[in-house]
Amino acid sequence: MTAPASVRTVAPAASDTALKINHKKRKVDPTYYWMIVPVLVLFAIFSTIPALIGGFFSFTNYAGYGDWKMVGLRNFQNIFSDPEILASYAFTFFFAIVATVVVNVVALLLALGLNSKIKFKTGIRGIYFIPMVLSGLIIAYVFNYLFSNTLPGIAEALGIAPLATSILANEQWAWAAIVFVTVWQAAPGATIIYLAGLQSISEDVYEAASLDGAGPWRQLRSISLPLIAGYVVINTILGFKGYLGTYEVIVALTGGGPGTATQSVAMRIFSGFSGGDYSYQMANAIIFFIITLIISLLQLQILRRREVSL
Amino acid sequence: MSASAISRRSILAAAGIAAAALALPACSNAKAGAVTTIRLQQGKPEVVDYFNGLIKDFEAKNPDIRVVQDFNGGNWVPGLIRDNPADVVTNAYSVTTADFAKKGIFANLADLPAASMADPKALELINSFGQYNGSELSALPFSLAAAGVIYNVDLFAQHNVKVPTTWSEFLAACQTFTAAGITPIYGTFKDSWTLGQPYGYVSGGTVDLADFFSRMPTTAADLKNNPDVSFTKDFKVATEKFLQVLGFMQKDAGSRAYTDGNAAFAKGGSAMYMQGPWALSELTTINPAIQLGTFPLPMSEDPSVTQAQVTLDMTFSIARSTPRMDAAKRFVSYLMEPAVVNAYNNKFSAFSPLKNAEKTTNEQVAGLQPFITDGKYYLNVTNYFPPAITLNNYFQTLALNKNTDAFLTTLDDSWHRVAARNA
Repeated sequence: MTAPASVRTVAPAASDTALKINHKKRKVDPTYYWMIVPVLVLFAIFSTIPALIGGFFSFTNYAGYGDWKMVGLRNFQNIFSDPEILASYAFTFFFAIVATVVVNVVALLLALGLNSKIKFKTGIRGIYFIPMVLSGLIIAYVFNYLFSNTLPGIAEALGIAPLATSILANEQWAWAAIVFVTVWQAAPGATIIYLAGLQSISEDVYEAASLDGAGPWRQLRSISLPLIAGYVVINTILGFKGYLGTYEVIVALTGGGPGTATQSVAMRIFSGFSGGDYSYQMANAIIFFIITLIISLLQLQILRRREVSL
Repeated sequence: MSASAISRRSILAAAGIAAAALALPACSNAKAGAVTTIRLQQGKPEVVDYFNGLIKDFEAKNPDIRVVQDFNGGNWVPGLIRDNPADVVTNAYSVTTADFAKKGIFANLADLPAASMADPKALELINSFGQYNGSELSALPFSLAAAGVIYNVDLFAQHNVKVPTTWSEFLAACQTFTAAGITPIYGTFKDSWTLGQPYGYVSGGTVDLADFFSRMPTTAADLKNNPDVSFTKDFKVATEKFLQVLGFMQKDAGSRAYTDGNAAFAKGGSAMYMQGPWALSELTTINPAIQLGTFPLPMSEDPSVTQAQVTLDMTFSIARSTPRMDAAKRFVSYLMEPAVVNAYNNKFSAFSPLKNAEKTTNEQVAGLQPFITDGKYYLNVTNYFPPAITLNNYFQTLALNKNTDAFLTTLDDSWHRVAARNA
């Protein structure tokens, strides 16, 4: 729009020679460079370079200040023999898998319900999307209060002894509270994607199916679900990646406790900044990065096979 | 075009005026004689105003020195990295601060007159973390926050319970309250850090902490020597007694947090509360009528060996690299004057670490005064743990599972792992 004259349209019919001639002259509108270069520079300065510096320090014994020296792979060796770090990996993956499954089941059910012809559809949709606009930290603090005070109070009044103490103080079940709050917060986002998928299915298909005698259950199984399969893949992949980095909900609910029962990898990494354990947790971060990178590549592979794109 | 040129010129002019305006006071200062500006790094937000008052007083007495207070504690380490740390820094002295001292960041203050005025016991605690070059004094103690068992004076009187001076008296007191249907001690271990207080009292009263931690291995080389010291061996009694204390807490202690505890105790929900002096003002805010006292938890049958728990809540250090050493030392010497030290500690329910210090006028902590005066105090055990050990989480596991051996093994393993990382 700014400089249309400089845009050179290469016709599809243009031969190789025409392309070569154009090669030395300006082919692309500079506007695009103006859009991309500042972002690239900012990204490099604030994300890539710090990450590389952190990666370098993972091979040192740097505490965040003072003297340091190279220690080779010692930090990495120590991580693999640190039961707490390994436990945090186990917890994080367990949590990510459970949260992904539950969020998607809940979101799919919500989307199916909200997509049907019910009364006050718009109003109800709005109510279901409120959790999405609240910060995870705020939601988690509210639920912290509910789990610690309200729920035990109700349980005690009803005489249900096992629930009379907070679930957050229970080493075996604290994770369930974290999953619950995560689902409460994350389900609306996934629901929107499913709703978009359901609305993209033409009414004609359902009409034709009902003419052929398909009931609602059959329509769901044979039309809705296969046609939104791509959205399931997207939701699963985006969700899983997000839940691997889970942090604020846990901090606000249990702080990694009770004991060390709910410490996520991200929490362990962050603890390195305050603990003089900078280089050690940097090594942890590098390992976590490589693991998530591998998972992401695998997921991309699945996406391509499914022929959907993000 | 011309419009933009004019505006550019006017901006330059404005900048010039501003620069001149900034330069003027600098000129007048230079005429009045060289003024040295030093920076004080002070990280306690609640005493910023108080320190501004001290600085004003100091500057009035020392017109050739100007002091700037930097109350963002997060500026200290970046200052070190830029090789421009604050000249004077306040710290709650713990293993983290000692790490700076060991790296030679702080100047030697042993030759300051204030060093000879400080209680030798307080200096011993500072030095127990290790001294740079083997003999240097890296910090001067300014304020001791003493902690003990906070008790409800009226409830004690109502049930004819005297302040216990032995372990069995303490147990008897707890049983009296239990029999009367009153929670003896209010527990808040949903906030895992609050467990550091009771564990501190119990372990400080049964183990010589400074000695124990000076023998613990801190580097990979120490580990190779296979030292004959471990939590499993030395902390077993303390940990068992800790669980005994926890047994006197209310049933839902696991789902109660610090603020819940303050509210409950202030309203008479329990007879005792194991918190530091920081909780006192919160308690009186919730219930202005409450009568509070503090006593050190007796851990044996011999009252004469009972000690109080302290933290070196505020110490002063000077950056070794400062080019303004003289001014910094004068400022620290001023802060360490008995009048300044006493006024501060009286105001903030803390204790002066100076020899022959005035006694506290605060009834709520007066019960600890005799122990401080006699130098019978030890540092809270949590001060000896590097932050890389998630000690509070281990406390919480112990409080919930009551497995002494597992707790002590975890501490040993965790301590050894951190030591192995240190070359």
